[in-house]
Amino acid sequence: MRKAKLLLHVVCAAAVLLGALGGCGRKDEGIAIWEQMDPEEQKLLQARIAAFERAHPGVAVTTLHFETEQLQTQFQTAALAGGGPCLVFGPSDKVGPYSVMKLIRPLDELFGEEFFSLFVEGSLDTLNGHIYAIPDQVGNHLALVYNRKFVKTPPTSTDEFISIAKQNTVDENGDGITDRYGLVFNAVEPFWLVPFLGGFGGWVMDEDHAPTLDTPAMVKALRFVSDLRAKHRVLPKECDYQQAETLFKEGKAAMMINGPWSWGGYISAGIDVGLAPLPRMSETGLWPTPMVSSKGYSVNVNCPREKLELVKELLDFLTSPENQMVTMRRLRMLPARKAIADSLTPGSDLFLDNSLIQLKHGRRMPVVPEMRAIWDSMRPSYQNVLNQEMIPEEAARTMQKTALERIARMKE
Amino acid sequence: MTHGAGEQANSLLGSLSHRLRSGGGRRSFPYVLLAPTVAIMLVVVLYPLIYNFVLAFKNMSMYHFHDARFVGLRNFAQIFRETELYLVFGKTIIWTAVNVFFHVTLGVAIAVVLNGRIYGSGIFRALLILPWAIPQYISALTWKGMFNHEYGAVNLILSKVFHLAPIPWFSDATWAFIAPIITNVWLGFPFMMIVALGGLQSIPHELYEAAELDGAGALGKLRNVTLPLLKPILAPAIVLGTVWTFNNMNVIWLVTGGGLPADKTHILVTYIYKAAFTYYRYSYAAAFSVIVFFLLLGFTFLFMKYFKVSEAAFE
Repeated sequence: MRKAKLLLHVVCAAAVLLGALGGCGRKDEGIAIWEQMDPEEQKLLQARIAAFERAHPGVAVTTLHFETEQLQTQFQTAALAGGGPCLVFGPSDKVGPYSVMKLIRPLDELFGEEFFSLFVEGSLDTLNGHIYAIPDQVGNHLALVYNRKFVKTPPTSTDEFISIAKQNTVDENGDGITDRYGLVFNAVEPFWLVPFLGGFGGWVMDEDHAPTLDTPAMVKALRFVSDLRAKHRVLPKECDYQQAETLFKEGKAAMMINGPWSWGGYISAGIDVGLAPLPRMSETGLWPTPMVSSKGYSVNVNCPREKLELVKELLDFLTSPENQMVTMRRLRMLPARKAIADSLTPGSDLFLDNSLIQLKHGRRMPVVPEMRAIWDSMRPSYQNVLNQEMIPEEAARTMQKTALERIARMKE
Repeated sequence: MTHGAGEQANSLLGSLSHRLRSGGGRRSFPYVLLAPTVAIMLVVVLYPLIYNFVLAFKNMSMYHFHDARFVGLRNFAQIFRETELYLVFGKTIIWTAVNVFFHVTLGVAIAVVLNGRIYGSGIFRALLILPWAIPQYISALTWKGMFNHEYGAVNLILSKVFHLAPIPWFSDATWAFIAPIITNVWLGFPFMMIVALGGLQSIPHELYEAAELDGAGALGKLRNVTLPLLKPILAPAIVLGTVWTFNNMNVIWLVTGGGLPADKTHILVTYIYKAAFTYYRYSYAAAFSVIVFFLLLGFTFLFMKYFKVSEAAFE
């Protein structure tokens, strides 16, 4: 009896321990995808996964959503520990750090030249001769979104742009609170500064991936954006992504600068939305140059070999011409598959035409890891300029100095 | 199970059973029950701690992810050379001190009120504990919305009711630091209130009567009876509160959007998080964590010693 009691105690203790550690060694039968998609994109993904599972009985594909920054953190932590999902979805700039850290697999190991030739030239994230992501869209480019209720004809120059924005910045009931802003965008992230940097003839790095931030073009771009808030007062005093998005969706902003991931959401929200290329810079006559990149799927280096065939099949399906056609029609995102891109005929869809024009004005986002250090060096100084705590010249100098230090530290 | 293995298991159980019957079994049985917890603690606490210490002496970063090597005290030397450590440390001290001060004073004050005979104290208690019951994530984001420059409730009240200029909560570094402090004070005082209330209810009423006979007024009773008897209960709670606040990353990170404006609202933990996961400086961040660990260990040790926390209330 006592023996039985003791055995029961030992079993209980073991059960607690095993229960706590349960799942550690459990064999995973499915494919997991971690993504940072917008809600409309997520809906399409879920529908595709359901179709894939129907065609592959017994296969479970699961998704987990993160914000872009969080996805990066979570994925690198999980992959570091030898785990993580088989597939990770995101924009091109993830490829640099992930590939240097050997967290994602070069896809030329899985797919042949023939498969890659089906994609639009320049849409494949290539680093050191290897392809690291299969895109389901190209672009990710910022453009001018406007509410047709307030803006009948989009601006073609920045002078017009400021003028329209001023006309639409109004305090309708005179209570001292602005009821509608002429322009909103994420004035916290330097990604929204880059188009204007290009518009003044500058760029973030040279061919050797060295930062080129302390330039007259950067000073002018910083001053241009700062003036939108401080001088022209067409931009809210504090405006991050969420605030910009909320104001535009609620009809409290006439124009917004945002990328293709958001356009479908505005249409769904019932906004009579128009799309136009960012207007030509009046001072230089140059077009603003938003960063252009693909968004796609990369394969975790920890994904078991026995799953790779299924992963290939899933990737092929998720990025298939048919699915990209649906994405293009529903969410107005440009396709990465040549077959669909070639079928686009100008004039058939004004929205897509303008997106394509904006895409052509843009410049390819560098996928090298140095880009990360450059973003993080630009951000604080850019915010300081917008908050009137730093003059553009000092900000440009600080950005450059910090970027050089950060790149050196990354390689220590 | 083979015959041999079965015999071995029987013999093991027999030996354990024998020890149980003798005094040794009674002594060892608690250890059997503790074993799973100890095993889990070893895996989830001790192992990461040791791993962190090892990492602090390496050069693990984006470019040395798989081939990190030992670099001695290089990371520590770099941290102490940078002015950033002292700036962020100073902000962390302000963040912790201001938060804990308000948590304790508000918590004790409200507990004293609730401990008296007031109508509907149960309802007040339930309402006051709400901030603690709501998930931090939701509270922090709600407060962030309330601090919005133009449409937030705080600025609307300031401008509409008090006719004051709206506060630039997230574009001015000082206000951007005050905003998460307000949020965290709101989130944290219920814990101290509950602890203090528990302590107050355990103080015998006779002591107050005796103090009254000795001519003590309300303040005298508070100083000579309430506070000394609350000390053994409040002191460990203050130590815990200090460590939690010092390491509380959620509130300040969520309210300031990760350091807005211009990375000026970092405390040590958010700074370390950013160093590791944004800048890929894993070993540098690990070395920073080791410094924070010893800072907190030192604080706890000194606090416990100075306030003689382990003394019983009536000693």
